[in-house]
Amino acid sequence: MLNDAEKKRYSRQIRLFGEDGQERLLRTSVFIAGAGGLGSVISLYMAAAGFGKIRICDCDTVELSNLNRQILHGSADVGRAKAKSAYESLTDINPEIEVEALLETISEENVDQLLQGCDIIMDAMDNFPVRYLLNRAALQRKIPLFHGAISGYQGQATTIIPGKTACLACIFPRAPPASVFPALGSTCGVIGSIQVTEAVKYVTGTGKLLENRLLFWDGLNGCLDEMACERNSACRECRDS
Amino acid sequence: MVLAFASFREILGKERVLHLKESATVKDLLDDLAAARPPFKEAAFDDTGALRDYVLLMVNRKRIDPTLDLSRPLQEGDELAVFPPLAGG
Repeated sequence: MLNDAEKKRYSRQIRLFGEDGQERLLRTSVFIAGAGGLGSVISLYMAAAGFGKIRICDCDTVELSNLNRQILHGSADVGRAKAKSAYESLTDINPEIEVEALLETISEENVDQLLQGCDIIMDAMDNFPVRYLLNRAALQRKIPLFHGAISGYQGQATTIIPGKTACLACIFPRAPPASVFPALGSTCGVIGSIQVTEAVKYVTGTGKLLENRLLFWDGLNGCLDEMACERNSACRECRDS
Repeated sequence: MVLAFASFREILGKERVLHLKESATVKDLLDDLAAARPPFKEAAFDDTGALRDYVLLMVNRKRIDPTLDLSRPLQEGDELAVFPPLAGG
């Protein structure tokens, strides 16, 4: 049952999915992989929306060149661990939820430990090798992975439900090369917001998810497109699931 | 018609209608594009002239496998989409 403060705090969104939906959000444990451009938007909106437990993980320290887009962190945080400023920003925006911010590099060795107890995974990474690790972990745990990626004015997003939809390796069998990509905060805002909307819909059972659909945002031309995807029966990651 | 996404769109434009010889394949179309737009060749093909392995291709909004389906013939009115995955966060 929601208490009076919770009913008030979440009143505008309870109109969308009822107190039952809000209770579901509060019971949900989220893993957010990365506290950069996408992770900033994702974690702030998830905290504000009342996802009950947020575990956010990033191994970096805040740099001045992060601040054009990484709105979890402020100018005074330059040089500090992103996990520290993430914890402070998230508990400030919503002190009623549980926040865990970890200063860790996600690896094959620790991914299982990091995801312990989590119900959903938010992809806020900046590289495909770690995304593939998250994809594999989502498949093993049978929990959804909400994928997003950006470069410059462009972004992409899709929702991966193990056993039901194409997995990340079905859609992107091979990783693009690592590079320093141009990054605009507002593109992270668009894609991160889409990922959070997907997670809210998944948890509250509302709307139609981006299942087997890769959404593509082109901010430069102001248009959205989508592409149909399907499971690859020979996929190296999910053919047995 | 060719639909280009992300950085390919900056090179090719969003949409481009091409007239191909009869029985032209997906590979013929990609080669025509590469010949017409050298920056596309550089972005989508490696030094050996092979399509970069991460580039996604779709015909009529359905994924095709670049390792198997480049010889697929195209029909009048087909739409080929070319898409380099984005990786930033």
